[in-house]
Amino acid sequence: MKGLRIALPGGTLFESACSLLNAAGVARLDPARFERELSVRDKDDVYVKVRPTDVPVYVEMGGCECGIVGKDVLWESSRECYELADLGFGGCRLVLAAPRDSALARGVWPQSLRVATKYPVSARRFFAARSLNVVVIRLHGSVELAPLTGLADCVLDITATGRTLAANNLVEVVEAGTSTARLIANHAALKTRNESVGALAAALRRAAAERLTAGAA
Amino acid sequence: MTGLDALPPGASVRGRADGFADYLVGPASRRRLITDRFIETFEAWGYGFMVTPLIEPLDTIAAGVGGAQQSALFRFMDSDGALLALVGERTVSVARVVATQLHEGPFPLRLCYAGSVLRNRALNAGRRRESLQAGCELIGADGLAADAECIALAAAALERGGVEHIQVDVGHADFIPGLLDSAGLDATAREEVLAALARRDLVAVESALEGTDAADAERRLLLAFPTLRGGREILDTAAGGLRGERPNRALEELAQLWDLLDAHAITDRVHLDLGAVRDWDYYTGPTFEVFSVDSGFALGSGGRYDALLSRFGVPLPATGFVLHVDRCHDSIVRRTGALPERTVLHVSWERDAHADALELARDLRRRGVACACDLAAGGDGGVQVSTSGVRWSHGGHEEHGSIDAAVFALGSGTP
Repeated sequence: MKGLRIALPGGTLFESACSLLNAAGVARLDPARFERELSVRDKDDVYVKVRPTDVPVYVEMGGCECGIVGKDVLWESSRECYELADLGFGGCRLVLAAPRDSALARGVWPQSLRVATKYPVSARRFFAARSLNVVVIRLHGSVELAPLTGLADCVLDITATGRTLAANNLVEVVEAGTSTARLIANHAALKTRNESVGALAAALRRAAAERLTAGAA
Repeated sequence: MTGLDALPPGASVRGRADGFADYLVGPASRRRLITDRFIETFEAWGYGFMVTPLIEPLDTIAAGVGGAQQSALFRFMDSDGALLALVGERTVSVARVVATQLHEGPFPLRLCYAGSVLRNRALNAGRRRESLQAGCELIGADGLAADAECIALAAAALERGGVEHIQVDVGHADFIPGLLDSAGLDATAREEVLAALARRDLVAVESALEGTDAADAERRLLLAFPTLRGGREILDTAAGGLRGERPNRALEELAQLWDLLDAHAITDRVHLDLGAVRDWDYYTGPTFEVFSVDSGFALGSGGRYDALLSRFGVPLPATGFVLHVDRCHDSIVRRTGALPERTVLHVSWERDAHADALELARDLRRRGVACACDLAAGGDGGVQVSTSGVRWSHGGHEEHGSIDAAVFALGSGTP
């Protein structure tokens, strides 16, 4: 077994993940190929495109040696993987947002709060440090509708541009965390495939740093 | 209505708790065989087999393991209201036995065990909550020779159990904490780095070190952390520029340990791993993990835990390890595919030949051939023996081949 099996996240991070691997000289991936093939072989490595939340599962269980996934997914995952590098792309923030005309939007915290979120683990951690009576309502999509319908008082959600929040009359109250794409690795693979995994991490770090400098210039 | 709308009648009594498994014919005996081979190897190295209970008082367990592990136990109440738990590992039980019944030695004590351990952790596809562990404890010996013996024994047992291409990663529990001490970090930064390392979040390690005034040599090592692996030569690389006494002593111990492992003739399977992330509150000296390319998990792990026995009132140094039987079984199956099952001969007999058939069965079993005898007449000529399409006759119809030929073909009964 020479190459690595690498899990890539479907969705918004997918094309950037492919282009970073290409820029790093690790692979020559055409994102369109994944629409026809379940797994794509490139050089000695095999790439699979899976749901972002499944990336840590593949990596922890040893189905893939490495994976690329957003930090926001890792916050919610109880999977034990090594987080090797910050890849810089896919930047977004986890924020608490409330309706524009609410007391919370003016910075006044009520005694009890109903929070709609797709990030229940992060929500519990965020509120653990605050003495509030919080009810976390776990939803699977369109959390910004929850305050509109009275289901919740506020939302804890990911935002990249803030446009969706604004369009739904929500304003940011406080930032709970910032997220970017990460390279993760399986525990045993880090030991048994140390050279391959180390080379992948080094190449991706270099490419991510170059991108950062190019972006700043 | 589809079958998913409601449970079928009787389903509620046919359920099995999530995270637990049934092992059917084949995997169950293979799992037992692996365990037997581990124990045989332990005993061949002079380790005495002992059995501890599946349940311990929570207080006993709490004396040995940290809060995170305690919260992952199945806990319940005894008839007098005291809290009990199903054991999550068995070293603490062995420590309790040593402290209460074997504290007079003779030392060093060499003990081994095998049994179920249980973890009440979040249900996640593929993760077991009950698993089978076999382990050894070497108690009352403080030298590195004891650590080397445990590492060599773990490797020998895994190989005897049928696990191929193992790799042993040896680290030291005092190296990274010592490195953080000598880096001159303040307590907050130190805790932050240790917590990030424990989470295996190297991105957070990096950002925790940023903006601190960690000394260069230490910072370089902490950032190079996952690549601090290799043979004896990495010890010299690591020692360059390192001032602190603690990390240097850890490196010195690893150098001596390497030479001892060389004397055990296993350094071709050993890597030194200075970045090993282990439970730094529990381990006090050399630590190790065993891997195979066939498994995404460590197959075995262990190390020196000199502080544990003193919590039971007997300050004795100790080192030991545990092997994960289920992960070993998975990794063997992954390499070899479906495992061959033991061949069982089927003995059938026609009317009046029952006694002959039973006599033949006794004879076969004496020769080590497994066989099951029909419970009712049904053969078509004396006594017949068959296995997966091949048929031999006993007496009379010799054209099918003789029983002796069958026994010969089956060898000792495990073809």
